[in-house]
Amino acid sequence: MADKIIKVAVAGNPNTGKTTLINAIAGTNLHVGNWPGVTLEKKEARFKYRDYEIHLIDLPGTYSLSNDTAEEKIAVEFLIKEKPDVVIDVVDSTNLERNLYLTVQLLELEAPLVVALNMWDEAKSKGIDIDVEKLEKLLCIRAVPTSAVKEEGIKELLDAVVEIYERKEKPKCVLHFEDQIEEHIKGLIDKIKEVQPILLDLYPARYLALSLIEGNVFFIDISLNNEIQKYVQNVREEIEKLYHKDPVTFIVEERYSIIISIYEQVVKKHVVKSVDITFLLDKVFLHKLFGLPIFFLLMWILFEFTFELSSPYVDWLDETLSSFIAPLTAQLLSSLGASEWLQSFVSEGIIGGVGFVLVFVPVLFFLYVFMAFLEGSGYMARAAFLMDRFMSVLGLSGKSFIPMIIGFGCNVPAVYATRTLENPKEKILTVLMIPFMSCGARLTVYAFFVTIFFTQHKTAVIMSLYLLGIAVAVIVAFILQKVYFKSQSLPFILELPPYRLPTVRFILRNAWIKTRAFLYEAGTFILATSVVIWFLLHFPVGVKKTEDSVFGHISKAIAPVFEPLGFGNWQAAGALMSGFVAKEVVIATMGNIYAGEVIQETEEEKIDIKEKLVQMGTGFLQANVEAGKKLLSIFGIDLAGGEEEEEFEKTLLDTVKNAFTPLTAFSFLVFLLLYTPCMATVFAIKQELGSWKWAGISVVISFTSAWIVAFVVYHLGRLVF
Amino acid sequence: MKLSEAEKGKRYRICSLKFPPHMKRKLLELGLFPGQEIEIVQDAPFGGPVKIKVKDYCLALRRSEAENIEIEEKNGR
Repeated sequence: MADKIIKVAVAGNPNTGKTTLINAIAGTNLHVGNWPGVTLEKKEARFKYRDYEIHLIDLPGTYSLSNDTAEEKIAVEFLIKEKPDVVIDVVDSTNLERNLYLTVQLLELEAPLVVALNMWDEAKSKGIDIDVEKLEKLLCIRAVPTSAVKEEGIKELLDAVVEIYERKEKPKCVLHFEDQIEEHIKGLIDKIKEVQPILLDLYPARYLALSLIEGNVFFIDISLNNEIQKYVQNVREEIEKLYHKDPVTFIVEERYSIIISIYEQVVKKHVVKSVDITFLLDKVFLHKLFGLPIFFLLMWILFEFTFELSSPYVDWLDETLSSFIAPLTAQLLSSLGASEWLQSFVSEGIIGGVGFVLVFVPVLFFLYVFMAFLEGSGYMARAAFLMDRFMSVLGLSGKSFIPMIIGFGCNVPAVYATRTLENPKEKILTVLMIPFMSCGARLTVYAFFVTIFFTQHKTAVIMSLYLLGIAVAVIVAFILQKVYFKSQSLPFILELPPYRLPTVRFILRNAWIKTRAFLYEAGTFILATSVVIWFLLHFPVGVKKTEDSVFGHISKAIAPVFEPLGFGNWQAAGALMSGFVAKEVVIATMGNIYAGEVIQETEEEKIDIKEKLVQMGTGFLQANVEAGKKLLSIFGIDLAGGEEEEEFEKTLLDTVKNAFTPLTAFSFLVFLLLYTPCMATVFAIKQELGSWKWAGISVVISFTSAWIVAFVVYHLGRLVF
Repeated sequence: MKLSEAEKGKRYRICSLKFPPHMKRKLLELGLFPGQEIEIVQDAPFGGPVKIKVKDYCLALRRSEAENIEIEEKNGR
């Protein structure tokens, strides 16, 4: 017999440890995705508990359920339409009063509630005593003390879920407001019963009545009967006359007066002699003089941590794939009698594509680790606090600064880092600005060109490109703000939660779940794109020169687009086309096409599997040692030795020197800086913003601005020089 | 007086909120309704946000938002 399914939704305020609790409940069963059509993360898990299969869905963290925001809409619509069997309401026991506001609204929605009194241990150590039984009785719910960090109370919580599910009759107690308003509520429900009873089939009666009086109707999909509207209008006027308050203020205050009465009956505070660590840490981290320098230091560590620590692993993966797996497969295929074309397809097209995916894995993993630490510790809110003054000029809040900084390392993790932005408008705007942050891969191309054309002013030229990227991002943000977002300034209400130490277990598991989501989804897309590009390069079958391939023909067809920018030759167009795959391959493609080389043949070399396996193993060990050294060097202990200078092929240097002038080279670099980021970034945008629409818009914006700016740069340059 | 003019470390009581409806609702639901006790704890550099304490938690508001919250000094009780 199949197990019975219990549909469980998890609701709760932000900063209640909801994510940690879900992690503790579901472990690696957890999958992250997006709520359809919006930029919000959706977590789901399916697992067995006792005789049941539990389908767990995490609702967005909200403070209430009555605002027309994406988070609250999703939560309300899910609760009304999907009718979960049980709702777990995660509350912060150290901050019960405000947390109960959502609980009261969930009861109005007639949700079968289990309240998880999370951070129970923290509340205890702060001298807060909560009478659980009394709370259960007063609210007619189940309540279970939990500590997500210590993974305590998880079993009891799940038992309570099953208990509620198995319970035949649902006890209901109504939390009464003042008598007069209760009469109005009753009258309104009777009116609805009389003229439009369908509304009561669709929505929970009390929630519906209160929402109508408050004037929040975002969740109602059918048009309201005139008589109901008139009745509501009457009630609203009545409230204003009686209490001299607007209906919203009145109802919110009514809810809070119930909460305060419950809170006073249930919570006892003892004076505990302890230092308020949060207060002290904020004195340092939010200090008027030192706050910002500390923030920039932490950002520098984040940057180093993500990109430096991951680079030995990236190199190791790259090495293993290109000098072991790829030739080995080619050899295997050739021994099976496969054609050269097929060998090349598998070893370059497919394994090369896998390589493009895998190189992101260490970077993303390290990024998620550090981000989880920033979020979980409470510092992220402080960063937003410190940077808000500067970002608000762009119509953004302080939180959007961190993703943009990460963008200078790599745009892909930067886009994923915007997950911490709750406001959809801010998130979209930030994501659209990120591609203009010049990433590390673009630097390889700059480095190549400046050694040829700008030997005297290497640093100045590269610096100017980075600054140009930032300037264009700011201009684009201003234009989008005017055109699309109609310059609505975002309200800034930010909770500053107490500092907490997240557990290593939570951080690692969280990082793995998110990295895995990237592998599954982005992996397929990136692989498919690189296979397509491979086909373009190797079609028609047996093509020897890139110029004669489909890729070459397309490059020739699009080359005239770049004519007004000073580099209208097909080779430059081809290099830019390949730059869509990854900016790192631009130089390699140029090597192929400028030098007119025959497309690389796979080397006919016998491969000693045993020796290579040993190399792979020691390589991995070395990567660990290397990462360890880099970790030390972040903190000032330098063991890593100097950077290696990149060397370029002489023939390629000469041909490129003849193909470009310093001005056209600079124009080319400007275009390369600004145009469409790589396919991985495009997919990351699609994944993070939940639709191809935004990915498409981003591509259009970057291509247009690249063309315009390069055009201006080239023509201004011609006037001056 | 306005919340933006409040002295750090002193306790006040909220009198009224002057905001457009959606913002007002948000603040009310977070517990910032008339009569609620409130305290400014810290402020950010260069005229950035202010950190306030309300109920059992801390909240950051922009200075321009703090200007729209009327408060009075809490004397005795």
